Amino acid sequence: MANITLDGVNRSFGSVRAVHDISLTIADGEFFTLLGPSGCGKTTLLRMVAGFAELETGEIRFGERRIDTLPAHRRNTGMVFQNYAIFPNLKVSDNVAYGLRARKIGAPEIAERVARALRLVKLAEHNDRWPHQLSGGQLQRVAIARALVIEPEVLLLDEPLSNLDAKLRVEMRGEIRQLQQTLGITAIYVTHDQEEALAISDRIAVMRAGRFEQIGAPEEIYRRPSTPFVAEFMGTTNLLQGNVGSNGASIKVGGTEFAVPRLEAPEGTAISFSLRPEALRPLIDNEAAPDGWAVVSAKLARLEFLGALTRIEANLSHGAPLRVAWLDLPLHRLKAGDPLRFAYDPARVTVFA
Amino acid sequence: MMSVALPRQRFALLIGIVGLALLCLFFLFPLSRIFDASFLDPKGTHLTLANYGKILGSGFYQQAIANSFEIGAFATLLTVLLAVPLAFALARLSIAGKSALLALVVLPLVLPSFVSAYALLLMLGRAGLATQALRDLGIPFGSIYGTPGIVAVYTLTLYPYVLLPTLAGLKAIDVSVEEASRNLGASRWRGFWTVTLPIVVPSVLSGALLVFIETLENFGVPIVLAEDKPILSVEAFKLFVGETDQNPSSAGVLGVLLIVSTALVLLIQRHYLARRRFATGARRSPPLIPIGRASLVAASVACWAVVLSSLLPFFAVVVLSFMKFRGPVLQGGFSLDNFADLLGRSARPLENTLMLSGLAAVIAALIGVPIGYAITRFRSTLTNILEIVATMPFAVAGTVLGIGLIISFNSGALVLTGGWLIMVIAYVVRKLPFSVRSSASILHQIDPSLEEASINLGVAPVMTFARLTVPLMLGGIIGGMVLTWVTVSSELSATVVLYSGEWQTLTVVMFQALEGTGAGTAVAAASLLVVITLVPLAFVYRLLRRYEASLL
Repeated sequence: MANITLDGVNRSFGSVRAVHDISLTIADGEFFTLLGPSGCGKTTLLRMVAGFAELETGEIRFGERRIDTLPAHRRNTGMVFQNYAIFPNLKVSDNVAYGLRARKIGAPEIAERVARALRLVKLAEHNDRWPHQLSGGQLQRVAIARALVIEPEVLLLDEPLSNLDAKLRVEMRGEIRQLQQTLGITAIYVTHDQEEALAISDRIAVMRAGRFEQIGAPEEIYRRPSTPFVAEFMGTTNLLQGNVGSNGASIKVGGTEFAVPRLEAPEGTAISFSLRPEALRPLIDNEAAPDGWAVVSAKLARLEFLGALTRIEANLSHGAPLRVAWLDLPLHRLKAGDPLRFAYDPARVTVFA
Repeated sequence: MMSVALPRQRFALLIGIVGLALLCLFFLFPLSRIFDASFLDPKGTHLTLANYGKILGSGFYQQAIANSFEIGAFATLLTVLLAVPLAFALARLSIAGKSALLALVVLPLVLPSFVSAYALLLMLGRAGLATQALRDLGIPFGSIYGTPGIVAVYTLTLYPYVLLPTLAGLKAIDVSVEEASRNLGASRWRGFWTVTLPIVVPSVLSGALLVFIETLENFGVPIVLAEDKPILSVEAFKLFVGETDQNPSSAGVLGVLLIVSTALVLLIQRHYLARRRFATGARRSPPLIPIGRASLVAASVACWAVVLSSLLPFFAVVVLSFMKFRGPVLQGGFSLDNFADLLGRSARPLENTLMLSGLAAVIAALIGVPIGYAITRFRSTLTNILEIVATMPFAVAGTVLGIGLIISFNSGALVLTGGWLIMVIAYVVRKLPFSVRSSASILHQIDPSLEEASINLGVAPVMTFARLTVPLMLGGIIGGMVLTWVTVSSELSATVVLYSGEWQTLTVVMFQALEGTGAGTAVAAASLLVVITLVPLAFVYRLLRRYEASLL
């Protein structure tokens, strides 16, 4: 086990910079996620670590050992592929034993380690099955057992859950996280699903066009996005444009004034900010806002009932939309055009310089 | 700047270099010698255009060129007219015995077409079994020699080239496309003409052009049926055998003409089809069209009639081989005399056929599978060139390749003429396009991430190929080898140029018997060919169903 260092890594495909001067250190035992839209370079970066994509410049090290000059089969990384890549011509136990046989390990030890790996992923009884007899979730477990059994220095996961249905996806991500923590293995995880990234990671790097947009812990990335791109990518938000108000702690959007944390910029400067829908709390009738909170008024435009949550779209006085997530909506008969008031903590507003 | 960490690419590079080197030595070099020969005087010393002047100025060879193209055009047109309705019926109607038909319909592609021609000759030729009977019945009946017979045989043996891609094209049309057309107010009939047919036209054309190329290259059918009618591929052979000069300049010219014509046809095909890809990505094929019972019976009968009449000649040959012949005349009565004659003189031709085609099948797979792997998994300038060169032998007639190999390797550093090796080389080169394309199509079905997973688990790329990729491809490789084996068994055009003395094959025996008077021997040889083609095919039938498409 070791920390992983990427140092000035670059790669272009034709005129496209797929990976743009990436430098990064992942700590020993850390669960690190590369998150971004398709084509952002996250998979290329992962494949560089595995040895399936070439670096044009830069270095990759496991601990002090440089590995980007090693061929892929000598890197000792365990990779879990998006489509599982289970060898269809081998039984489950032979799939798991594959990497151990390549390492010329003795048969008794292989048998013991394969059994242990299959127990770890709860497939002990399936060792004699053929891959085509397994479900998607089971194939995924075989893929994980196969990658872990070789005791790799780092576990690489390339969108491993994207082929599973929604319920199983949630279940499996919990199991992957638990396994990784039990074994204390360093993991790099690639996904385009921000909820998955938030749920599973120690740290997340949001990528865009081959660069890191922001690196941080899940809560930090969600609560304090450093760019509008990150704010929008991490979930629904109100991304608003306005001008700095007279007191230095407000922004005017059309005719509506939003209270924000204290600003350095002079009055009138054009500025944008993000305010998450769930940070806005609806005030019913004449209910007062909590101390230190600000209030914003808007007219209901439409309402989407989703069960636990109700999504509301309201219009500010100049017509711009304001999205609000209302948890456990009481049985109010709301209709379009009704005036609404929402309270929010100015500290929850993220202002972009 | 290139990094050094990817030995997989070195593996592909190695395959590319070895593959290209072999193709240069045994394919491009012989072809270049044909071009040389056509531009050198008969002594082989001076550059000249006189050979072209002589050939192109001669009425006889002008006629040969005209005949070849005329026969090709007729045969292509007729195969299209036969195959397209058949494909439509098989795709959209509930034809009786459809799966049996689909199995039988591929056979004409692997059975030797000159055997079919020979059967036609035995039945309807001058001394044919049915000829007199038909005349006696007063059925007007012209000569089958020359254009009519050749076109008929080509149509009946080559129509699967059009049928299979058209059928695949029709099945690849998503039902929603046709439903959209009807939803917008088009009748079923109008929808067929404005949507369905235009979508499959590229498939039809690509098959039709293959038919045209096959007719230009074919040697066996005209040698049986052309009589005095000059045909390019036959005249090239006759000139080469007849030319006693140092340099086979006239045969060279005809060879170049053949290469240029087929290459032109292929170029037109590439150019036209490159811009027309109408795959609609079928998630659901259109449903069968319900038609009346009477119409359905008629359609079923028509489909069976076409397929059976294409196979009838082969069946007839097998039956006739058990009858008594005296000279060219059928005596009637069953006997094994023909086989006794054929094998009594020597069993060598049969052994040669089995041995040489077996060897060719193994070597074609050993070279073709790695090339198929390199061109599917590693796109680069080198593999692109390799792909083009490896599929080029398809456009070169066997006769021409044979002549090229002889003038390349009958003297100098590497002498191969007179032995079996040069025959195997010719077979491997001719079948390489098929071997490469079939392994490429198998590989397209194997996800590359399987190989990456193996490498990631610590198995080096070369070992991954040997231990994982090849086992996964095995069914397809064996299927491909059987097809190579079967088609090489009935190879005539290159064999007839290259064989010598003890290395006669069954096809050569049949060829010689045709020239002479031994109809009994010829028919026994033809019958043996049909049997050694069908038996292995029956064994690997299940394997082959998946690789039908790569026949084309």
